[in-house]
Amino acid sequence: MLEIADVATAYGKIEALRGVSLSAGKGRITCLLGPNGAGKTTLMYTIAGILRPRRGSIRLDGQEIAGLTSANIVARGLVLVPENRLVFAQMSVKENLEAGAYQRRDAAGVAQDIERMYARFPRLQERREQLAGTLSGGEQQMLAVARALMSRPRILLMDEPSLGLAPKIIEEVFSIVKDLNRDGVTIFLVEQNAHMALQVAHHFYLMEQGRVTFSGEPGKLAEDEVIQRAYLGAKRAGA
Amino acid sequence: MIDLIQNTLDGAMIGSSYALLALGFTLIFGTMRRLNLAYGPTIMAGAYLGTYAALRLGIGAVPVALLVVAGAALAGLYVERLCFRPFGEGAAITSMISSFAVWMQIEEAATLVLPQHLNAFPPLVAGAPITLGPFFFRLDHLLMLVVAAAAAALVHGVLHHTRFGLGVRTVIDHKRAAELVGVPVMRTLTLAFVLACAIGGLAGFLIAASEAQITPMFGMWATTKGLIAMMLGGLGSLPGAIVGGLALGVIEAHAQWLFGPLVRDLIAWGLLFAVLAFFPGGLLGAREAGQAAALQRRV
Repeated sequence: MLEIADVATAYGKIEALRGVSLSAGKGRITCLLGPNGAGKTTLMYTIAGILRPRRGSIRLDGQEIAGLTSANIVARGLVLVPENRLVFAQMSVKENLEAGAYQRRDAAGVAQDIERMYARFPRLQERREQLAGTLSGGEQQMLAVARALMSRPRILLMDEPSLGLAPKIIEEVFSIVKDLNRDGVTIFLVEQNAHMALQVAHHFYLMEQGRVTFSGEPGKLAEDEVIQRAYLGAKRAGA
Repeated sequence: MIDLIQNTLDGAMIGSSYALLALGFTLIFGTMRRLNLAYGPTIMAGAYLGTYAALRLGIGAVPVALLVVAGAALAGLYVERLCFRPFGEGAAITSMISSFAVWMQIEEAATLVLPQHLNAFPPLVAGAPITLGPFFFRLDHLLMLVVAAAAAALVHGVLHHTRFGLGVRTVIDHKRAAELVGVPVMRTLTLAFVLACAIGGLAGFLIAASEAQITPMFGMWATTKGLIAMMLGGLGSLPGAIVGGLALGVIEAHAQWLFGPLVRDLIAWGLLFAVLAFFPGGLLGAREAGQAAALQRRV
């Protein structure tokens, strides 16, 4: 569904991505692991059209999306739940959901989907008139996911959904990820929490210093080393 | 007591156009997070276009109003292209300084078009003031209040009930998040900027028409009034802009009555100083205070 080939992205002269290739299969949960600074968030922003790649190709269902605007990419069915959630803090929960549907023109369908989100996330319904900035971290994460789903994505990208959340909430977030996937949403997930991620992923990649260095399926022998490298980076893993 | 009420009413009517000025200013500041010093001069450019057409063609108040609004919107587009679009969000100072340069440019252009310092501006309505018991109201001031209130309601409607308005509010709230949900941020910014200048143009028309005259200094006057009203209400708060504008009008009216016209402007600046010293977020800006602080860090 999502195919990335030899993507390089740079901030000025510093290359954060140095030729990344990977793919996320339709209907699956694909997970990208890696230590801090490996370039995971840069990759997510590059796919979502916020950053422009210097070279390489990003294909969504066979169509090139590298270089398109983020608005265009959302319209094509790819949406990112960003790191730190980035909810619209001064807008109500309901307005956040409406904003998530910005690219849609079917008002009736949008209203229906808002109700659907309330059914899936009852906490959001309770707080629908509350400003999003007043929600707890876990609730904001739910809202960020619901807001993204409002665009009716074919593939959902999630960047560190567990960041800064309590362990119990993290479990809730991952069970939502599994639920969504069961409902047919393709998921491409970036996580530092390798233990949790490997429990839900069908396939994973390990990224270090701007490159994909390992890929495989959870439950295989190499898992321990991957987890170690995901947390610590390659250099110290051997020590 | 009667004087007190009369002054308050007069002040609120003039203040309604300040509120409109501040609304446009705030819309630019809220979306761009940058100060547009050329805001008043773009309005003055529109007003000059209007007065030029009125002098040459003898057209009436409504077409003049449309010309002023269109002229201000066009001049705004020029400012946006020149001073805002080319620079990123980190370049707040660059935008501010270059908007100052454009201010000078517009002032010079205005004096080239109409060389006299003072030009007649067509009045909105003529007619005797309406008396209501012990109070009386100038017709044009009443109309100013009505038009400004209608315009503010229209802006509110656009912001809260249209797709474009939703986009503007997301951009004001968080630009990156707005991009991520699929709002075309660049286009939204440009449109909001032009809309803001059109709102300012309407305010400028109402003020110039009630004074029945215009000078190139009107640009500076509009920038400072808009700035003070915006700061009073709270940086970046749209309801605050309305409150700040009305408050400024009322306070000025009382100051003028009590101490004379010279003290009027002094009071306005003194008030700004007091508000910034004691309520740095503005009167309605408590919620926005964090944002203002973030802005100060950036600027």
